[in-house]
Amino acid sequence: MDLMTTVTIAVAAGTMLVLAVAMSLVLGWANRAFHVEVDPRIDAINDALPAANCGGCGYVGCGEYAEAIVHEGADIDLCPVGGPATAADVAEIMGVDVGDAAPKRPVVHCSAEYPQRLGRHEYAGEMTCTSANLIAGVQGCIYGCLGFGDCVMACEYDAIHIVNGLAKVDYDKCIGCSACARACPRNIITMIPFKTERVMTVACSNKDFGKDVKNVCETGCIGCKSCEKVTKGLFHLENNLPILDYDHLADDYDFGDALKKCPMESLVWVGKPSAEDIAETADEVLPDVVEADFKTTVDKTEWRG
Amino acid sequence: MPSKGPTATERFINGIIPENPLYRNLLGLCPALAVTNGMKPALTMAGATAFVLICANVITSLLRNVLKPHLRILVFTLTIATFVTIADRFLQAFMYDMSKILGPYVPLIIVNCMIISRCEVCASKQSVGTAFSDAVGVSLGFCLGLASIATVREILGSGTWMELRVLPEAWPNWGIMVLPPGAFLTLGLLLGGWNWYNARREAKAS
Amino acid sequence: MEYIASIVLISVGAALINNFVLHYFVGICPFVGVSRRVEMAFGMGCAVTFVISIAAFLSWTFTYFVTRPGAPVTTWIWGMVNPGSEAVVDLSILNYIIYIFVIASSVQFVEMYLRKFFPALFKAFGIFLPLITTNCAILFGCLEIMKHITGVSSPAEMWGLDKALVFAVSGGIGFAIAITMMAGIREELDLCDVPKPLEGAGITLLVAGIMAMAFMGFTGVDRGLEALLLK
Repeated sequence: MDLMTTVTIAVAAGTMLVLAVAMSLVLGWANRAFHVEVDPRIDAINDALPAANCGGCGYVGCGEYAEAIVHEGADIDLCPVGGPATAADVAEIMGVDVGDAAPKRPVVHCSAEYPQRLGRHEYAGEMTCTSANLIAGVQGCIYGCLGFGDCVMACEYDAIHIVNGLAKVDYDKCIGCSACARACPRNIITMIPFKTERVMTVACSNKDFGKDVKNVCETGCIGCKSCEKVTKGLFHLENNLPILDYDHLADDYDFGDALKKCPMESLVWVGKPSAEDIAETADEVLPDVVEADFKTTVDKTEWRG
Repeated sequence: MPSKGPTATERFINGIIPENPLYRNLLGLCPALAVTNGMKPALTMAGATAFVLICANVITSLLRNVLKPHLRILVFTLTIATFVTIADRFLQAFMYDMSKILGPYVPLIIVNCMIISRCEVCASKQSVGTAFSDAVGVSLGFCLGLASIATVREILGSGTWMELRVLPEAWPNWGIMVLPPGAFLTLGLLLGGWNWYNARREAKAS
Repeated sequence: MEYIASIVLISVGAALINNFVLHYFVGICPFVGVSRRVEMAFGMGCAVTFVISIAAFLSWTFTYFVTRPGAPVTTWIWGMVNPGSEAVVDLSILNYIIYIFVIASSVQFVEMYLRKFFPALFKAFGIFLPLITTNCAILFGCLEIMKHITGVSSPAEMWGLDKALVFAVSGGIGFAIAITMMAGIREELDLCDVPKPLEGAGITLLVAGIMAMAFMGFTGVDRGLEALLLK
């Protein structure tokens, strides 16, 4: 090898060596100089969390939630994806007791499908709930489900669908990330702890009374207080709407009387269907998702009304 | 993760169509758009990428037990850079015109997401033989992807394929096809076609 | 005036006429992947601009002083070993390795620095930084600068640090413009009825094609600017 080649190879190797050493020194120094004191519990909690980064806990990602638990004392059972197992792990890391954490699932507080909504007019604006919510006259009830599907668009797990104009949750697919609850502009979806597989809910958000409700909806709650009287206070009316006290509810409470007394069919079971319901529809072939099946008169397109 | 996973042959076949790196995983989009205005540049690029991917996979697989976890990505990248330098010099020496046409896209193979992804996912955990067959399969898949886009762009844009005339002289060359917008539109439509075909196949199967 | 004209031409060229994404096809992966919401896209654009300027500075320094044929450092070393020789040491074989090394290390350094001193900024675009290490756009910036140092016919035409930095920053700004525009369009597309096979990457690429067509309208602007500034 002549001198030029030798020198080239030597200088090349030397340059790479100098570069590597310099960078290691700089990065090593930076690692110490820019060291941010990180509580080791944050890393441990981060490992325990499922890393789905779904935002269901209310924080931007699993990392944020871990930091919030250690620095701000956030509740340890907020992770819907990990559920009670994760809550137990986190509790162990933080050295606290884990309470009885039931998974939270969304409940749509409206029971009116298109035929039961009165006062509907043709809406030709942007087909989203957020936009339709801003103008008057789309439907009679100003509190209830509009049916344009903002919740469906927010859900990344295909767990909520609009069936005949009403949002319905598929509890088999739902993981409880609460994206639908946050997307709803009328805030009629709330997250409720599901201590059992079937939960009784109040499927109405209408805060008006009596005739005002009947004028706009066939199944809306009129605030008659029958449920409160029959259950001796388990339902408690506020703003003409019953609120169910889930904390003091026994798992096997019989709602038969309350269901019979409610004149408007506003009390609804959600969650896993009961044995009777399954038996009733056992011989039906049900489609997976029921789509609205009417078309406009203008052309053959399906109207996402 | 199971220690075996797909066998070497399965990985090889998977890489070609089912897990096609371009259409299925959307990796390596930059060269797919940049060099596909003719079949010859596309095939040259595919060949260069194949060379780099196979060599990098083999070396990574040989080093897999001595690498510290936090140095992994850096070592992959440096290995890939070395082989890309070799490939670039080779092209400049023996295929000078082609190297001028490919321009800066040969060194950009270093940051081709596909290669780093295969090193990370497969080569750093599997034996040399498996890594080798995985690399060959994925390279063939990538070549297929590039060739499909280049075929459309070259035929419509210059009426030739592999620089042999296939359309009559009277064909008004679709200039847009050899320009950047044509690349985006072709890839977008081919991707749509691929997804549609796959959806139909899955609907028929179920 | 000639100097200002050349700076303006480099800047407008990198940002608009030869836009990194829409003309040179670099940085497509983040362009398709991160452009779903305008805030995230803008954050990504800022992060890329930031990193590309640092990478351009370091790569220009190394190329100019060490690896190009006849570079000061190698000439000095050669002068010590074999004084009086006219031959030049050419280390440009190391270029790609040095660039990628420099990019990876500087991204790591920037991430640590941001985390310590600007936690708000770190939260805003910290997650993008590891993604940017393998971003074609950064390496492409370095390669173009290399081309204008080693690939020019005379030393007078070599790009100094000033032109290299202007090129890099403008390229980053052009990337930011393109990705933010794409994010705005995609937010609107969310409300539209996109055919199922085209959902996601397909429609993004088609929209990018139309954007590329629009940006082709900038061709010839450099000639007009040149005529205007060098009147």
